[in-house]
Formats: sequence, structure tokens, C-alpha cells
Amino acid sequence: MWVGACIDMRYDAFSRCHPAVNFGFFAIAIVLSVILVHPAYLAVSAVCAAAYYLALKGYKGWKAVLGMIPLFFVVALLNPLFNAMGDTVLFSLFGRPFTYESLVYGACIAAMLVSVLLWFLCYGAVMTSDKFTSLFANVIPALSLILVMVLRLVPSYGKKARQISGARQCIGKSGSGTKREKLQGGITVLSALTGWALEGSVVTADSMRARGYGAGKRTTFQVYRLTLQDGVIALLLLLFAAVTIAAAAAGAAQAAFLPSLHIAPVRGALSVSGLGAWGLFLLLPTLLHLREVILWHTLTSDI
Amino acid sequence: MKRSLRTCLSLVILLVLVPLTVYLCARADRKYYLSGLVIILLTLAAFFLRFESRRPQAREVVILAVMSALAVASRAVFAAVPHFKPMMGIVMLTGIALGPEAGFLCGAVSGFVSNFIFGQGPWTPWQMFAYGVGGLLAGLFAHWGLLKKVPAGKKDLAVLGIFGFLTIALVVGPLLDTSTLFMMSNTVSTASAAAVYLSGLPVNLVHGAAVLLTLVLVGKPLLEKLQRIQMKYGLME
Amino acid sequence: MAHFDIRHLTFSYPTAPDRRCLDDVCLTVEKGEYVALCGKSGSGKTTLLRHLKSVLTPHGIRSGDILFDGKPLAQADLREQSARIGYVMQNPDSQIVTDKVWHELAFGLESLGCDQKVMRLRVAEMANYFGIQSWFHRDVAELSGGQKQLLNLASIMAMQPDVLILDEPTSQLDPIAASDFLNTVRKINRELGTTVLITEHRLEDIFHAADRVVVMDEGRIVAAAAPKEVGAALYARQDDLFAAMPAPMRIFYGTGHQGADCPLTVREGRSWLSAMAEGRVLHDTPGEEAPYEEPEDPALQLKEVWFRYEKDSPDILKGVSFSVPRGSLFAIVGGNGTGKSTTLKAICGICRPYRGKVLIDGKPAARYKDLFRGNLAMLPQDPQSLFVKKTVREELGEMCRDTAQIAAIAETCEITHLLDSHPYDLSGGEQQRAALAKVLLTKPRLLLLDEPTKGLDSFFKRKLARVLRRLQGGGVTVVMVSHDVEFCAENADLVSMFFDGQLLTTNTPRRFFARNSFYTTAANRMSRHLFPGAVTAEHVMALLKENNL
Repeated sequence: MWVGACIDMRYDAFSRCHPAVNFGFFAIAIVLSVILVHPAYLAVSAVCAAAYYLALKGYKGWKAVLGMIPLFFVVALLNPLFNAMGDTVLFSLFGRPFTYESLVYGACIAAMLVSVLLWFLCYGAVMTSDKFTSLFANVIPALSLILVMVLRLVPSYGKKARQISGARQCIGKSGSGTKREKLQGGITVLSALTGWALEGSVVTADSMRARGYGAGKRTTFQVYRLTLQDGVIALLLLLFAAVTIAAAAAGAAQAAFLPSLHIAPVRGALSVSGLGAWGLFLLLPTLLHLREVILWHTLTSDI
Repeated sequence: MKRSLRTCLSLVILLVLVPLTVYLCARADRKYYLSGLVIILLTLAAFFLRFESRRPQAREVVILAVMSALAVASRAVFAAVPHFKPMMGIVMLTGIALGPEAGFLCGAVSGFVSNFIFGQGPWTPWQMFAYGVGGLLAGLFAHWGLLKKVPAGKKDLAVLGIFGFLTIALVVGPLLDTSTLFMMSNTVSTASAAAVYLSGLPVNLVHGAAVLLTLVLVGKPLLEKLQRIQMKYGLME
Repeated sequence: MAHFDIRHLTFSYPTAPDRRCLDDVCLTVEKGEYVALCGKSGSGKTTLLRHLKSVLTPHGIRSGDILFDGKPLAQADLREQSARIGYVMQNPDSQIVTDKVWHELAFGLESLGCDQKVMRLRVAEMANYFGIQSWFHRDVAELSGGQKQLLNLASIMAMQPDVLILDEPTSQLDPIAASDFLNTVRKINRELGTTVLITEHRLEDIFHAADRVVVMDEGRIVAAAAPKEVGAALYARQDDLFAAMPAPMRIFYGTGHQGADCPLTVREGRSWLSAMAEGRVLHDTPGEEAPYEEPEDPALQLKEVWFRYEKDSPDILKGVSFSVPRGSLFAIVGGNGTGKSTTLKAICGICRPYRGKVLIDGKPAARYKDLFRGNLAMLPQDPQSLFVKKTVREELGEMCRDTAQIAAIAETCEITHLLDSHPYDLSGGEQQRAALAKVLLTKPRLLLLDEPTKGLDSFFKRKLARVLRRLQGGGVTVVMVSHDVEFCAENADLVSMFFDGQLLTTNTPRRFFARNSFYTTAANRMSRHLFPGAVTAEHVMALLKENNL
């Protein structure tokens, strides 16, 4: 019951925040994950990303998360093969030294890749296309409109393409059989589809102009409104991010790998608070999610 | 006011910020992935701002949307043919018919939207950029008269097809491979570069062949259709 | 002061400077008026409407003036015209710009630069007025055609226009969605006082609502008066367009009656007939039709066909069985989403039934090697699905190289004069016949038609009927799926009712429609209390004459 409740996207409070908060979080999380190449920071990032992804997707999320493990090892082990720098030679392969330092470095790069990929998966689940376009409607009005239109047209063209090939099948032009015939069939459908789509575009352009497109400065209708809760969450996120960045700037996340390892130890107030802030920043969406699950669980059990 | 601001901004980006990033990248500890990403995002932003500052008309907006959507949807049309990706072919035809800028935007938008379907990732900006460059090159070559706006004979189609193949194999594909390279290893050595580019080669050749076939087979009818619509729009003005 | 004042407007397209699309058109439209514009396709209706909004006005050679509220229309800028003159076009789908319902509703307001507060209020108002709240957050793609067109109307009404111009807004909708839409337009006109200018070929649905009907022919206005007077004028002129008038009106004039008591609606028609027939004994059998019997050697036979799209989805076809006699025109009628089109797809094998048999000439369809060569062909609902080339001639050339054969088919389908046109430059009815010609080049013995009268005006419908009869004469069996009760009543040999994945009954049109009380023709609804067997206007007229009424 409990685990089942966690699976649902409906419980994700962070997804219901304003798109600007969503986008800002992911932008900072991804950029900092790339910049802070320090084993501890990367581990925190990867774990938090996996946790949030599992909170969003439930059981279905495990496939993607577990799939990251082989990727991690492949990248971690491949890097030293191409990079012979490093003082401590572990063994030689095809006459090239395989060094401890470059193995650690490879592992860090792999962890970075994995955490970035996982954050992008979360981004895909949270930042739906309409959130993206509504967020950027003021910055790039024409392009965001193009984006909105493309998102509508792609499925409708797919449907029309099926209609066209069905219609052609019924006059004996099936476009199936050998590869060559399939290709020829596809080409004809694409050509017919293009003709249909372009003729339709004339109507769309008319319809836009009839409704005043180009009459002056456009405004954008916002379905998403900034609430007090958005403000609080944004403030918290900014605070955690600021502490992380400050700590990193002061050297807490310093790490050099080649030719020899110089990794800042996680010790002392500065280092611990930097890492702690980074963890809190990345965990906040997951915490919000859990809070919601607990809230609903207690609410429904009261009834 | 806002108009000139956008233009200025795009110039500043291209002339100041991009070279600055390259310089910083060369000086600092060679964070290839990050600086590559920054350069690409800046270039994309410059193109986008330039387009926005023109206050594009309804028909430009619609036709770009239609061509980008066709490019994305075209993969589904050829679902029966394995490994056949005609998307870049359509992006290039858009560039040829509507100009380099439209080609770039069509490529960037289709790259972005197709990732809404297949999943966004660190490769998204690179893909947008690479596809955009493909469309841009086609537009430029047509502008210089090297590619025909409406191919007349087999020779023109052959030139078109070869152009498409080479652009994919030499520009678009390697650009995408570069993103893989930067993502997988922070220190770029000749060996790792060679490994990534060589392993990407077969994929790029297949992709290039698909684009070649697309251009040769649908190039003429599509360009004719685009020309007809442009004339129709011309009558509307 | 008149809202629109059109003075001596003459216009021709640059491609054909000698042909006047609009010829000395003079028309005034008062505030709050509901004006219906009718005429054959190509009579200049759309061209005239497009002149009433500068951004849509076509390029060409023009003279004359258009005044909007007393000032030349051109003096009103894009902003003012966008806000004050609303324009709804034919195609519900292509008019939509964005991907979400809410966004589409707000699109016009965004263009006008309204601020958030105003937009929220107006959008909320419109969603309420049009009953859109429940699908406010949906993707546009999930909407039906009728809902899409309603959304187009709502998103224009959100700008609070003074004038609403509608160019054949219901031609792509099914009858129920169409009358819903037209009722909404009428409600807007009556409740908000918005001036309405509409072209429409479903004249029955707007005739009684219109204050004035304007008839155009070859770019000229030939009549502009109250609906009843227009009917009289058209009858007097023996105009082709008279055939498009509502059935009660056709019956009234067709039986030699004259005067102001001409009925416009079924209700008026009923009371008119009742008044005339009072106290008389009527002869009411319109000649017997042979009852329908199952054919022994059917051209097409379906036996217990079951189909669903996916393993877990509900059944669409639930045991469809019927047989089509050789050489007949077999019509399948029924509501939307009952599975009519799916039945056609199942016959063609685009949808594979999981149970049941489809026999063509007694042989299972799956066993034909070249099913679509010389045996079976289908005309899709949207004829544009078949267009690939630059000219109609090339389209036909894709099917067959024999020019003599192409010429013969073009003659049959009455498209010889259109062979060198671009398929997309044709009108709806012409596209339909061009696509039909393409289909016919496979020389089918069994022809399937999916909604062949969709978007056609009465003139093109008669042309289509002629073509179909010609094909039947050549031995082709025709099965068509249609919403068009009137067309089926007039032209089909057999009519079947489809409901809930099954074919309920099959009968000859008279027996079929005379038994229904809702799903039947206007002529039958109007006269069934006197002549229960009369189905078409012609039947009623014949009976009236026979009874000397």
C-alpha cells in the first residue's frame, strides 16, 4: 500500500510547482553535477537523482536506474585505456599502462555521466512540453509558438500518414513486400503527406492572422501561477545552491586526478556544510514527494 | 526597443562570448564538455534571438512548424524500413527552399522535439546544433547556387544526394560523435578521439545513405510543393 | 448606420483577369443581422466574405468600396479588425494553431496583447458559455471534429467581435455536430447581438434562423431578401439552387403553390399539409416497392464479423452480417463511432477481423491474390489522402498508362475540364470526383465509398449521384457509408442501419425510412401523418398532385 502510493506521479508535489522552479532546479543540478567533479559530490548527485527518479516512477524506474550500473563500469574502465597519464601503474594492457589515477578519474567521469543522465530522466518526467513552452513563451515568443505547433502536428501527421497509406492500400498501392517496395511506398506517403500538410499550413496562417497575429506585442496566457509555496521552495533551493557554490568556491569540492590524485577531503565545517547543502538541494524534490505521500496516507486513513 | 536589444545581444554572443568561452576553455583545466556545451548554447541562442528580433510573420512561423513536424514525423512513415532516418533530408530541403536561417531553425527545432519523444539528455543541445548546421549548410549551398532550388534533371538530384551524404558523414555525424567524446571522457586524447569517431563512422554512413536516398527520391516533389506554397503565400501578401 | 456597406465591388484574380469573381456586388449588413449567403461552389461566396477582413482579402484586380461602420474597411488596422471581425473557416483542424484547448482559447487575446487578468476572465467566460470547462486542459488532438470547430468559434468569440463571419463552418462535420454548431451560432446572434454572416450548404439548418438570405451566382447577387421571398424568387428563376432549398419549401413550390404561407421548417410544413388535407380522404400509397430479400448470389457478403483494434480494447464490430446484391447501391447509415467506417476497413483488410468471414463474389477476401486489381477498391473519406502529384492527369497516370482509358474515366466522373489543374486547387466536390476517378482506374467490380457526400453542396451531390448511377449501369456494385439521409433516400437501392457494432436492418429506402421516426428525411417527417410511405420530396409532391392538393 505504502510503496504503491509512492509510485504515483500525482503525489509529486515538485511537479506541481511553477515551471520556473522546476527548470531552475534541473538547470542548477545538472550544471553543478558537471562542474563539481569530486567523488563525494558526484556520489551524492547520482544517489539523489536515482532516489527522485524512483519516487517519480516507482517500480518501473528500477529498469533505468539499474541500467546505469553497466554504463558506469564501461565508461569507468574505458577511460584509463585511452588515458595513460597517472603515476601508479596497476598493469599494462596492449603495451599501454593502466593507471590507478586514471581509473579513479574514469569512475568520476562515469558517475558524472550517470547522474546527468538520471537528472535528465527526472527532467523528462517533470518538465512536460507545455511547461517548457509556457516558461519560454515570453523569452522566445515565436519559437515557443513553433514548438507548440510542432508538438501538435507531429502526432497528427503520424495519423494522417497511416490514413494515406491505408487509402493507397485500397487502390492496390500497398507499399509492402520487398524492402524496395516498402521504401517506395514510404516515399509516396511522405510526398502526399507533405502536400497535404503544406496546403493546410495556408489555412493555419490565415487563421493566425485573422486572430491578430502580428498586430503588436504578444502577451502570454499563463496557466501556471506562482504561489507562496513556489516562493518558499525556490528560496530554499537558492539558499542550498548558494551554500554549495560558496563552499565549492572556497575549495571544498577541489579535485585533481592526473598525474596524481589531489582530492579535497570531506572534513571540517566548510566541507561538510558544502556537501550537506548539495545533498539537501538535490533531495528537496524527493522530500516534498515523501511529505505528500505521508500526508495523503494519514488523510485517507482518517476518513 | 526590445527588437534592437535582441539583435545586439545575438551579436554580442557570437562575437564576444563564444570566442571568450573558447579562450577560457583553452586556458582553464580543459573542461571540454562544459565549454563545448556553453559554445553550442550560445550559438543556438544567437540564432534564436536573431529570428525573434525579426518578428517573423505568421506564414514563416507556420511553414517552419510544418516542416519541422514533417521532419520529426517522417521517421514514423518509414517505420517499415529499418535504420532509415529521413529527418535530415527534410531539414536540408527546408534549408534549400526557405534559406539558411530557416534550415538551421528547422533542424534545431526538429532535434529538440524528437527528443521530447525519445527523451531529453545531455546530447539534446548538440543534436539541435548539429541538425541545425545541416540545414544551414544546405541553405547556404542553395544560396550560392551550388544546389538547385528545384532540381531539373538526374544530375541535379545526384548533386543533391551527394551533398546530403557528405554533410551527414563529414559534419552532422562527427558533431554528434564529438558530444559523445566529450561526455565520455574529460581529457581528449588522439586515441580516444580516434576511437569515438571511428566507432561512429558506420552509423554515420548508414544515416548518410538514408539521407541520400531521401533527397534523391523525394527531393524533387517536396521542393516543388514548397515552391507552390511559397507562391500561394506570395499571393496572400 | 449599416455595419458593412459594400458598394459596387468587382474583383478578379490575377491568374484569370477576364473572369469576374465578384461582379458589381452591392450589399449592406445591418448591426445584429443574421445573413445567410448561398450559391453554388465557385459563385464567389468565399471571395466576398474574405473581402470583409483585410488580412484575408485575396490579391487581384479590384474596384468598389467596402465600408465598415461608415469608414473604409482598410482604415481599420489589423488590431481593430482582429478584435471586431471574427472569421471561422471550413476546416476545423487546420484552423487550430496550438496544442492545448486553453492555449487556443487565449491565442487571439495573446495576439492583442491583453494582460493576464483580462485574459483569464475572458477565457473563463468563453469556456463557460460554450461548455468547454470539462475539456479545458485537454490536448486539441483528443477532440472530435465538432468540438474542434466549437473551439475555433469560442477562441474567436473570446475577442468579443461585433461581426462573426463563417465560411461553410459545418461542411466537415456530421449532421448532429453541425446542427449543434449552428444552434450555437444562432444563440450568439440572439443573445449577444453579434452580426452573423454565414455561408452554408445545409440550408435547412439555417434558413429559418436567417433574417436575410443572399443568393450569389457567377459573382453577382441575384437575390437578397427574407428566406421565404428568396425561395419564391429562385423558383421563379428556375434556378439550380432551388434544389438546395429546405424540403418543405421545395414541396410547396413544386406542387404549384404560391404566396406568403410557404413553410420553412418541418413543423410549418406539417401544419400546412394538415390544413390542406383537413376533411379529405387521401390516397396515400406511392407505388409499391418490392420487399427486400436476401440475394442468392451476393457481390459481397459478411458473416458474423468481429473486430477490435487491440487485444484489450472493446469490440468495434460485434458480429456484422449482411449481403449486398450484385449491381446495387447499398447504403449504410448510422451515427458517429458506431463502426460504419471500420466495417469498410474490415472488408478491405486494413482491419483484420478476429472472427467471421468476408466473401467477395463468394470467395474469401483474404484468398484473392490481387484483391485491389479489378475486384475491390475504396474511396477514402478524405479524398486528399489520394493526392500525390501536381496535376489531376498525373494523378490518374499513376494508376494507368492508357490515355484513352484515363479520358474515358474522366468523362464518367465529369472531370475532363479539370485534368490539368492541381488537385488542391479543386473545390471539395471536384476533389471527390478526381479521387473517385483514380479509384475507378483499378476497375473495381465492388466499390466502397466512405462518406462520399461530406462537404458537398446539393449541386455536387447530384453530380455524384449521376456518376454512381453510371457506374451501376456498368455493372459495379457500390457500398457506401453515409450520414446523409436525404442522399441515401434518393439514390440508394438498399439502406441499412448500423448501430453499436452491428447491422440492424436492411430494407429498400422507402420501407426503411418510413419505419423510422427520427432517422429519416425531412420530407418524410413533414408528411408521415398523411403519407406514411413517402420518403423523398418527389414522393410527397407526386402524392399531393395525385390528390389534387
